[in-house]
Amino acid sequence: MKSVVTHFALIAALAAWPFVVRQPFLTHVGIMIALYATLALSMNLMLRIGQISFAHGAFMGLGAYGSALFMMRLDLPFFAAFLGAGLAVSVVAWLVGQIFLKIRGVYFVLLTFSFGEIIVLLFIEWVGLFGGSNGLANVPPPGLFGHQIQGRGGFYLLALALATFAYLSVRAIYRSELGAVITSLDENENLSRSLGIDAHQYRLLTFCFSAFLAGLAGALYGHYLTLVTPDDYGFSVSVNLVVMNVIGGISDPIGVVLGALLLTILPEFLRDAQQYHGLVYGLLLIVFLLFMPEGLYGAIRRFRRNKWEGSA
Amino acid sequence: MAQLATQIVINGLASSLVYILMALGFTLIFGIMRVVNFAHGELYMIAAFIVYFFVGSLGWNYYLVVVLAAVAVGLFGAGLERALLRPFIGRELNGMIMAVAISMTLQSAAFILFGPDELSAPRPVAGVIRLGAIVVALDRLVVGIIALFILAVFYLFMRYTKLGLAMRAVVQDEEIASIHGIRARVIHPLAFGLGSMLAGFAGALMAPIYTVYPYMGAQPMLKAFIVVILGGLGSIPGAVLGGVVLGLTESVFATLISTTIATMVSFGIVVLILLVKPTGLMGRSGR
Repeated sequence: MKSVVTHFALIAALAAWPFVVRQPFLTHVGIMIALYATLALSMNLMLRIGQISFAHGAFMGLGAYGSALFMMRLDLPFFAAFLGAGLAVSVVAWLVGQIFLKIRGVYFVLLTFSFGEIIVLLFIEWVGLFGGSNGLANVPPPGLFGHQIQGRGGFYLLALALATFAYLSVRAIYRSELGAVITSLDENENLSRSLGIDAHQYRLLTFCFSAFLAGLAGALYGHYLTLVTPDDYGFSVSVNLVVMNVIGGISDPIGVVLGALLLTILPEFLRDAQQYHGLVYGLLLIVFLLFMPEGLYGAIRRFRRNKWEGSA
Repeated sequence: MAQLATQIVINGLASSLVYILMALGFTLIFGIMRVVNFAHGELYMIAAFIVYFFVGSLGWNYYLVVVLAAVAVGLFGAGLERALLRPFIGRELNGMIMAVAISMTLQSAAFILFGPDELSAPRPVAGVIRLGAIVVALDRLVVGIIALFILAVFYLFMRYTKLGLAMRAVVQDEEIASIHGIRARVIHPLAFGLGSMLAGFAGALMAPIYTVYPYMGAQPMLKAFIVVILGGLGSIPGAVLGGVVLGLTESVFATLISTTIATMVSFGIVVLILLVKPTGLMGRSGR
């Protein structure tokens, strides 16, 4: 009960934040953090089943193009287009997942990597639908209950709602029996299968939900930028998501959010020195892989445990 | 028609040779260390910058610098293995993420040092050779001949020297190899260095032909990746076969349709191969 109250308080505080601070730049950073937290959580699901997907950039792109096209071509209302795009992406994931998920380890990574590249090339080559290298311009702004959401504050609330949904659902999955099954698939698949668990179906389910979250985040991202271009959805997106997971700590959704927070804030404030982004990302990743493989969350937990034991 | 076909084949084989150089190093590193070296393109990029600097700015002899660049990149690669990749032996996914981290770091370091501009290194030779209606650029021909020579030396090294034999043994079965006294601590940096050196050769050879810039490694890295999947990850003859297949396929589709379609087709083939026979055309079944 206490945790429910604290959660509500936290979310209310986060929601009120930009309307109190009234700094457009900080609101923008908040939107990016919420979107990346959603994406990083979606990647975390894949890391849990031990199959890193490098197709998540493409899933995000499919969501962005999908939602924009549903609104521009089919005149669907925003919410239908947004949800439709997310569902369409999970249908794609379900179709390819049928065969992709039978492949394990490095080969799965390489497979999703190639698939992602094909999707991005498709965005570039199919000019009639996706607008080629220039992409889609003038993506309409979202509207809810007849109101058009154009200001950053409104976007921030939407993005926050999405991130909250992602966080709570991923947390609920990990706390349920489903989470135990999913984790067991990475740790000892044969044992879970001997208990009558259909490993492939669980993998497919995880993959689809992960793609659903990535698609929704992509859809919102496209509406926010009002421009959808193929360059934004390549291989580097998936890499950034993996970096966020490793640095935040993959063992708990809070760690993942922490990673997304840190690695979104950092480049936004390094704007004047854009060339240093990659360097900072790369070096941080190297340091964490070598010295703190459990990420920030793991380090914080170890620190707190040591302190507790020290005082006892 | 026959002329067009010959031209397509010649263009295809010219690209094949460089793909093979890249792919051989990539596949050697995977075969021996089980690391998918996503930083392979950056090794290529570093060698190209060395050529740009020493030949372009200081005016050194091109052929000398090619060898120097390859050796320097080889040593650098061996250092990378020792410092950063060794802890990840046997953990394929983490090793791959580390390679991605190295790639990001090197790319941005090059960006900070040299800026985003596409620079060009001077060509050692210029002009074309005409055989009837078929045109071959002279610089490409020189690159092709040097690449062939390097491939021959590499083949002889792997086939007839003790070290080459040791490396092939590790590719086949590291445990059995270690029983015979082959030490992984020696073979791993050697293989990573050798693989890096091949990437260095490729980068140094291509520097005068293409432009030199921090992100130039991405394209050849993708090609190496496709070639290696085609031939089978870890398979050395597979890399040669894969390189020829990719060079020719691309040349056909790029000449007849467009380069984007050519790339899409090659990735399509990769997906099919990974699904149907993940060990590639020449690969053995996995360990």
